[in-house]
Amino acid sequence: MSQQPVLSIDDLRTYFYSRSKQAFVRSVDGISLEIEKGEMLGIVGESGSGKSITAMSIMGLVSTEPGIITGKIKFNTKSVHKNLFPDIKDYVRVNRSSGKIMEVYKDNNGWQKKIDRIMHKIRGREISMIFQNPKISMNPFITIGKQITESIMLNTGIKNRREAKERALYWLDRVKIDSPGLRYNNNPYGLSGGMCQRAMIAMALSSEPEFLIADEPTTGLDATIQSKIVDLLAELKSTIRVTTMLISHDINVIRELSDKVAVMYGGTVLEHGPARDVLSPDHREKHPYTKALLASIPSEEHIRKKGYLQAIEGDVLDTINIPAGCRFYDRCNMVTDKIGEMCKNTEPDLENITSEHKIRCWLYSN
Amino acid sequence: MAETILEVKNLKKYYTQPGGVFSPFQGSKRIIPAVDDVSFYIKEKETMGLVGETGCGKTTIGRTLLKLTPVTSGKIIFNRKDITQLSPNEFLPLRRQIQMIFQDLDAALNPKMRVKSILKEALTVHRKLSNSEINREIDELLEKVNLSKSELTNFPGELSGGEKRRVGIARALAVGARFLVADEPTSALDVSIQAQVVNLLKDLQKNLGLSYLFISHDLRIVELISHKVAVMYLGQIVEMGMSGRIANEPRHPYTSILWSSLVEKKSREAAKVSADNKKETWGVFDFERPHTGCRFAPRCPVYEAKGRPSICSDPSTAPQLQNIGHAHKVRCHFPL
Repeated sequence: MSQQPVLSIDDLRTYFYSRSKQAFVRSVDGISLEIEKGEMLGIVGESGSGKSITAMSIMGLVSTEPGIITGKIKFNTKSVHKNLFPDIKDYVRVNRSSGKIMEVYKDNNGWQKKIDRIMHKIRGREISMIFQNPKISMNPFITIGKQITESIMLNTGIKNRREAKERALYWLDRVKIDSPGLRYNNNPYGLSGGMCQRAMIAMALSSEPEFLIADEPTTGLDATIQSKIVDLLAELKSTIRVTTMLISHDINVIRELSDKVAVMYGGTVLEHGPARDVLSPDHREKHPYTKALLASIPSEEHIRKKGYLQAIEGDVLDTINIPAGCRFYDRCNMVTDKIGEMCKNTEPDLENITSEHKIRCWLYSN
Repeated sequence: MAETILEVKNLKKYYTQPGGVFSPFQGSKRIIPAVDDVSFYIKEKETMGLVGETGCGKTTIGRTLLKLTPVTSGKIIFNRKDITQLSPNEFLPLRRQIQMIFQDLDAALNPKMRVKSILKEALTVHRKLSNSEINREIDELLEKVNLSKSELTNFPGELSGGEKRRVGIARALAVGARFLVADEPTSALDVSIQAQVVNLLKDLQKNLGLSYLFISHDLRIVELISHKVAVMYLGQIVEMGMSGRIANEPRHPYTSILWSSLVEKKSREAAKVSADNKKETWGVFDFERPHTGCRFAPRCPVYEAKGRPSICSDPSTAPQLQNIGHAHKVRCHFPL
């Protein structure tokens, strides 16, 4: 029997209510993913496709109403075997009419208390997160060393302050911060962007988590610094082998680091498979959206010819008015007469092309 | 031969930082050379890319060209007039021709004005137009930037990132600009939308004959859209030349590091020089370690490899921007 996946998400839906539009924003709309031990899963997609909300839902950090309304997240490690959202049905009641969600009743306080009780032991200890903006995510008044020490004392077996400090210094050195002894006493604002991101990674890893979520770890950094952070993540991946979910809109970063990739659009996964298949321009079978995304990155050829880029017409799907058919239908340039009707009216399923590669498109459906 | 539309000569912009409460006792004001002796020119229908890390002075140059920031010294010659010497009233007619596309459009578009009033304001600020003329011109503008008419009644907050960018470009075109300073026009956009904006800028250049100063830290986009590229480091241009040459045959160690750090390139080709991984010297001006001589020396792998020659660190022999042929200039004693 193969090992059980560390994290398996089943039909996760996270909605928000927009008061001005009087409608639900379906940020995450039926995501199912599995992450095996030691694997790095890359999640790509444009802004608003629900990448970060997926991560926040896993961490139980969605507090806006109604938030998570259905879904199962099974988390399996050495010490924990748990469904992170037990009994969510007891807290949520959904009124549907003709397939559309009209009303959602949710006992949000009760749910928040419940999930906090469950996540208390898991958040930070079993699942760590690297946030997008390290300078905002860290406390500006406390030195980075102290923040890491605090995290170590809270989340690991080390309760002695001196030992914890030694451990913190070890992690600062591990993420290649220059003279960790000096930087230990720096406040986040005394560090450059790249160094602060390193400190953030050190903090996330210091609790020795089973599962790491890295939400846009390289966004907003200069190209030189970005490549160094990618190097660092690649090195940590090969030495520590922590199971990671890497979220980024930068396809090149995902291609460089991940084993498997999920391409998200409008709250669902359109394609899921090994990175070398999904993100290689030469691989024939892929979702039209992935194909278009890859084509819109300036390639060597574009640059040589000074040509135009291949843009995807239209805008990112707004997740309020989700069409009945395929979510990518309006922007898709591969709709044929044969499948046109189906594309417009029925949403395709995520179907296996090979044993590992899944695509949600009528082109590849039987 | 295309005419030179803009020429910048020895532009300097120094910011002074007040020394704090105790400065009267220490008696020293800190001077930050944000832009230090920069010269370049841009011809008609030409795009110059300006790249460099955060804090190297890219945006400051863009702002001085529009007189949004006064210069410390130097000349900016636009349309054969030195705009640094013009009074605000004399500059006004030139303002029409030189416009900026701002980086953060959430801040640059008034959230309480509808798209139509934003464009109308730009159209009428320099000219007196009747209502029918305004409507006609707005229609033309929308067509130029591929915006649908239904967006006119929306507020900026209701637009997506790409649409906001288009409104920003339309507003710059409304006054009849010939020269656009595009400050990070594609940052914070998704790749598919980024491609739309890049294509739009290319189209406008072809149809309206615009010239751009394209400021960005996205090297691929700069390489794609620019005819020539200037690489900046700590307020100075360290290398300048045709974009293909800068990208493929860089002569300055910094340019080489910059281009080889592109994530997707890395796996395929080894860099000519590799930066020391452990050392992360700051890209911004550092007071605690003031530079003498070549500003890049503290990070430079060539400087290390040559055994720290004094010619690099001696202030009297700081490298000058020297021509090495093919309109390629480099500021280095040991070009690669």
